[in-house]
Amino acid sequence: MSSTSNSPTGSNRVRIVVATSVMLTFISYWRAAAIILNDLGSSAFYACGIAEQAIGKSAPWFVLGVMLFAFAVRAVYVESCSMFVRGGVYRVVKEALGGTLAKFSVSALMFDYILTGPVSGVSAGQYIAGLINDTIAIADAHGWIPVAIHHLFNGTPQVGVNGASVLFAVAVTLYYWWENIKGIEASSEKALWVMQITTVMVVMLLGWSFFTLFKVGGHLPPFPTLANIHYSQESLGFWKHSKLPHMFAILGLIIGFGHSVLAMSGEESLAQVYRELAHPKLKNLKRTAIVIGVYSFLFTGLVSLLAVMLIPDDVRTRVYSDNLIAGLAMHMVGPQVLRLAFRAFVVVVGFLILSGAVNTAIVGSNGVLNRVSEDGVLADWFRRPHKKFGTTYRIINLIVGLQLFTIIVSWGNIYTLGEAYAFGVVWSFVFKTISMLVLRYRYKGERMWKVPPNFHIFGVEIPIGLASVGMVLLATAIVNLFTKSVATVSGLIFSIVFFAIFTFSEKVNRRKHAHTAAQMQEQFQLQQAESVARETVGIRAGNVLVPVRDYNTLNHLRWVLERTDTHEQDVVVMTARISQFGAAAYGLSTEQMFSDYEQTLFTRAVSVAESVGKKISLLVVPARDAWSAIAQTAHNLESSGVVTGLSSKMTTAEQAFGLGSAWEAIPEPKRQFVLQIVQLDGIVDTFRIGPHTPTMKNEDVVLLHRLWLNLTREPGLENVHHHDILTEALTRFARDYGARDREDIVKELRRHGAEGGPLPVRRIADQVHTVQPGPARADRDVGASGAKGDGAK
Amino acid sequence: MNFSVLLVKILEYMFVAGWAGTVVVLVLTFVEDAGTLLDRKDENSH
Repeated sequence: MSSTSNSPTGSNRVRIVVATSVMLTFISYWRAAAIILNDLGSSAFYACGIAEQAIGKSAPWFVLGVMLFAFAVRAVYVESCSMFVRGGVYRVVKEALGGTLAKFSVSALMFDYILTGPVSGVSAGQYIAGLINDTIAIADAHGWIPVAIHHLFNGTPQVGVNGASVLFAVAVTLYYWWENIKGIEASSEKALWVMQITTVMVVMLLGWSFFTLFKVGGHLPPFPTLANIHYSQESLGFWKHSKLPHMFAILGLIIGFGHSVLAMSGEESLAQVYRELAHPKLKNLKRTAIVIGVYSFLFTGLVSLLAVMLIPDDVRTRVYSDNLIAGLAMHMVGPQVLRLAFRAFVVVVGFLILSGAVNTAIVGSNGVLNRVSEDGVLADWFRRPHKKFGTTYRIINLIVGLQLFTIIVSWGNIYTLGEAYAFGVVWSFVFKTISMLVLRYRYKGERMWKVPPNFHIFGVEIPIGLASVGMVLLATAIVNLFTKSVATVSGLIFSIVFFAIFTFSEKVNRRKHAHTAAQMQEQFQLQQAESVARETVGIRAGNVLVPVRDYNTLNHLRWVLERTDTHEQDVVVMTARISQFGAAAYGLSTEQMFSDYEQTLFTRAVSVAESVGKKISLLVVPARDAWSAIAQTAHNLESSGVVTGLSSKMTTAEQAFGLGSAWEAIPEPKRQFVLQIVQLDGIVDTFRIGPHTPTMKNEDVVLLHRLWLNLTREPGLENVHHHDILTEALTRFARDYGARDREDIVKELRRHGAEGGPLPVRRIADQVHTVQPGPARADRDVGASGAKGDGAK
Repeated sequence: MNFSVLLVKILEYMFVAGWAGTVVVLVLTFVEDAGTLLDRKDENSH
C-alpha cells in the first residue's frame, strides 16, 4: 500500500487521524438569541389563540405564567450546558437514564420538532388567508368589488381559510424540503435580520396597543380561578365526562397551564447554539437566556394579554382565534387604512418568522436523526448522502413526508396541531429535568453552574430548585395525558413507532458494525487527536491539503498526486464530518466520526494514491461548516495549498469567497495559501487566500506609469517609486471611503459590478497626459505580479 | 377516596410545591441575571 503507514505495530494498515474538536465559527449572544427566538418567538402568533379555545378568556394569564416558568426551564438548560458542551435532551437522558429512555425522549423530541413545521406553516397560512379575506371584505363594503363577481360567489368573495392554510403550509414545507436537499447553510445573519424586523413590529404593536388602551380603556382578562376557566369540549380529552376538572381548583390551573405550555417550545435550541457561543461561553449563554426570556415574555406574554383586552370577545373567538395578532392590529385606534397596512406588516413578519420555524423544524429534526443515526440507533441507509448535493436526503424526505402527512390530516386545524405539539414539548422537558436531577448524584465531572437553591443535609445535596421545576413539568405532563386525547394518542403512537424503529435499527446495526469494525481493523488504524496539528498527522510544513467529500468525484486528488512529488511535499486528504445545527448538541465518538461512509471514501482515496504510486495522509475533522474546517485545517497544518473539486452548488469564485471568508474568521497570526479548484474538464482556477497583490490590468499599469512619469518631473519628486503612488492613492481612497465620498464610491463600484464591466480606468487614463513627453526612464519598481486570479477576497 | 381523586390530589400538591420552589428559582436567577447583565467588561456583541 502506497499511502502512509505510521502504525506503531509496524503493520501496513493506513493510519487515519480523527480530530475530535469540532472546528466552529463562534457567534455572539445576540446572534444566538436571534436563532432561538426565530423558533421560540413564532409561538406568539398562535399560542394564546389555541389556549383561549381550550380554557376561555383567562388564557393570557396562563401564557404569562408559562413565559415566566420558561425562565426556570432555561436555568435547567444552562446547568446542563455547564456540564456537557453538547447538553441537549438525548445526551443528558442517555447519560442519566440510559439508552432506552434516551431513545424514548428523543422520540418525544422528534414529535415536537416534526410538528413545529405544520403548526408554523398552517399558522402563517391562517394569517395570510385572514388578511386576504378582510381586505376583500373592506373593498366590498366600499363597493369596489364588481357586482358580477359578487353574484358569482353569492356574496363577498372569500378564500377558505383552512384550505388556503394547508396549501400554503404544503408549499412552504416543499420549498424548505428542496432547500435542505440542496443543503442551505443555517445563517445567524438571516436570523438576526428577521428578529430585527420582528422587533420593529413588536415595539409598534406594544406602543400602539398601550396608546389604544389609554384612549379607549380596557379590562384585564378574568383571573384564572375555577369559575373563570371555561373548558371547551375538546380541552378535557379523556376527562370529558368526568367531574374531576370541575371539582378541583388547582387541577383547573394545571389543565390551563398544560394547554398553554406550547408557548415555550424552542428551548432545546439553547443547547444547540451553546457550542457555537463565543467566549466566555457560560456567561454568554446566561445572557442569551436573559435576552430570549425577556423578549418572549414581552412578545408572547404581553401581546396575548393585550389581544384579549382590546379585541371584543365575539370577534376575537369567532374571527381572530387563529390569527390573534392580526386581530389586535385591526382593533387599534386610528384610520382603517393605517390599521390594515399595519396588519399587512404583521402578516409579512409572521410569514418570515413562521416560515423560518418550518425550516428550523426540518433542520433540527435532520440534525437529531443524524445524531442518533451516528450513534447506531438508526440504520446507516438513512444517512447515505445525496449523489449531487451530499445531504442526508433520506432523513429529510422522511421528516418532510411526515410533516406533509400531518398538514393534510389536520386540514389546517391549528387547534388540533397545537394540542398535539404540546405533547412533545412537555415530555422532552420532563425527561431532561428528571435526568438532570439524577445527574446531580451520578455525575462527578465539572459543573460550572447549578439551578438554585440547593441545601445540604448530612452531606447530601437537596436540589430544591431543580426538583421544583421537575414537579411542575411532571404534574403538567401527566394531566396533559388525560386532557389532550389527540396529543396523547398521536404522540404515543409516534413515539412508540420511532422507538421501535430505533431499537430494531440498533440491533441490525450492532451486527453490521461488528462486521465493519472487523474489516476496518484490517485496513485502517484510527488515531484519535484532540486537535489538528502537523505533528499529529506527521507531515511537513508547506503540504497540500485535499478536501474530499464524494467518493465518486476524486479527480482533483488524482490531479494533485500526478503533479506532486510526495517525497518533497506531503499530501493530506481530509474529509469534514459536518455536525448539523441539531446534531451540534450531541457528542461523537471516534468510531462514529469514522463511519461506513468515511471508510468507503478513504478506501477510494487510497486506491487513487496507489494507482498513481504516491503517498497520502488521511484526516477526519468534525466541523460546523466545511469552509471553516478547510481554512482552519490548512492553517493548523501550515499548508501551502488547498486543492478541491468544483462544487455542484457554487461557481469557483463563490467557493473561493466561501473559503476566504472562513480564513478571515481565523485569529491572527495566520498564513496565506493558494486555493486551486480542479474542474471536471481539467480546467484549474487558482486563487490566493488572504491579503495578496491583486492582478493588475494593463490599463491600470499604463495609468500608473503615466502618473509616475508626470510626478517624477515635479521638482523634488525625482525619486518617487510606482508603489509610492499606489500608497498615496490607496490612502486617499481609504480616507474618502471612511468619510464624505463613501456613498459615491459604493454606488460607482456597485454600478460597475452590476454591469460586469471593468472600472473606468481607460477613461481616466485618457485624461492624464504626460507633462513632458520624453524617453522612458528605467522603472525602479519590480512589475506587478501576474498571478491568475484574485477573486478570493 | 378513589384512585383518580388520589392521583389528582398528588398532582395538585406536586404542582403547588413545584411552583413555590420555582418562584424561589426565579427570584435567585433574576438577581444573578441582573449581575450578569451589569457585568459588561467581557461583552462581545458583534
